[in-house]
Amino acid sequence: MGAEAGNGKTETRRCNEARLASLYEEYYDKIARYVYVRIGTKTEAEDLAGEVFLKALESLKSYKERGIPMQAWLFRIAHNLVVDHLRKASKRKTVPIDTVQIESDANVVTLAEKNIELERVNRAMEQLTREQKEVLGLRFFGGLTSKEAGSILNKSDGAIREMQRAAIAKLRKLLVTDY
Amino acid sequence: MANNFDKTLDECIDRINRGESLESCLADYPEYVGQLEPLLQAMLQTKEAYSFAPSASAKRVARQRFSTALERLEQRRREKQPLFTRVFARPLVWTTAAVVLLILAAGFFGMRPMLYPTGPVPNPEGNFVFLISDDVNAISDFESLNVSISKIGLLPGGDSERWVEFEPEVKQVDLTLVPGDETQEIWRGNVPEGQYTKVFIYVSDVEGILADGETNVKLPSGKLQIYKPFEVTGGEVTNFVYDVTVVKAGESGKYILKPQVDQSGADHKPSKGKAKDK
Repeated sequence: MGAEAGNGKTETRRCNEARLASLYEEYYDKIARYVYVRIGTKTEAEDLAGEVFLKALESLKSYKERGIPMQAWLFRIAHNLVVDHLRKASKRKTVPIDTVQIESDANVVTLAEKNIELERVNRAMEQLTREQKEVLGLRFFGGLTSKEAGSILNKSDGAIREMQRAAIAKLRKLLVTDY
Repeated sequence: MANNFDKTLDECIDRINRGESLESCLADYPEYVGQLEPLLQAMLQTKEAYSFAPSASAKRVARQRFSTALERLEQRRREKQPLFTRVFARPLVWTTAAVVLLILAAGFFGMRPMLYPTGPVPNPEGNFVFLISDDVNAISDFESLNVSISKIGLLPGGDSERWVEFEPEVKQVDLTLVPGDETQEIWRGNVPEGQYTKVFIYVSDVEGILADGETNVKLPSGKLQIYKPFEVTGGEVTNFVYDVTVVKAGESGKYILKPQVDQSGADHKPSKGKAKDK
């Protein structure tokens, strides 16, 4: 690539684009898992995870690292896309279909057990409040700190800590009683 | 008190997210073991249950869309700059342009046997071979998938915006016949030696028949461009494989044709050798 004198803004923008590209490999998976926890369909979670990076590219000119790293900013975008998706989904009747891919005969039993466990955990998660699911999604699957999760959900770290404790306690109770 | 416990739980969640074990967290807070352990077990159980790996093809398609969007941004940025700024604000460009002009002039006056008034022409003894291949994704959904290619373009390195363009000799390829390592040669001839950075094919039409033997499918046509540096050198034949793939677009039932940068690229054989498969 040829060198460009370019003004400061263009160079900053290019740096941010490079940073965003470098986050893709690791954070696509994390974001897909976070979205999956929130919306419950794997294929749609994969599609939305891709949308997050495209949206981030469009919004890069408004990104400034004010105490929130780019990784956390990606989850804010994911959160907003999920909210949007859930709002649209509630207006139409859909039946999510996730195909189970069997890679080899040897994995069939393990896969079946995994699916049963996933259904169990899913049932428990469904009984949490929307906010509790958001907090656990960001903390468990996004790997964000309480402070970063708080900045996305507009809550203090203290509020996040309290919510996560209550959410995990409820989740634990549900998992124990659903055996 | 509750506040202290919340902070401890919070810290343990951070530590487990960073890869530490449950046991190491509990060992640091013996006074809270009874309360901490069941909650952290629930956390691990939940993470384990949701530990699905997104499909490789979905990730690849998303990455390709992202790369394409990045390339478009860069292209638009370059187009926006006025010619004055582009030329006069970059002294290095002047030097590079002068060197390139000198080389081109030397080539024009004596070192090239042919001129290319309308672009490179086919030649069985040429130094460059262009091949098409198909990276297997959704191709097994098809009985046949005919891609019509009307133009090929190569962008020389440096600051040149002047593409080397030519028409393929073989204008249509059935992608079901070139899966994986299989290739189809669609042009052979001479192109100027040197470094190239980008390659495009212009797809004028895509028509397929699904494996049910009945359903006709039409895909969007257009320019498929990749950033893939390679070199055409003297005394060798450069074989460039341009890999495309067809993927299903979510649950819409539609298909998309995509270039595959990772699977595309050039290799070299001594002159007068046959083109080899990828």
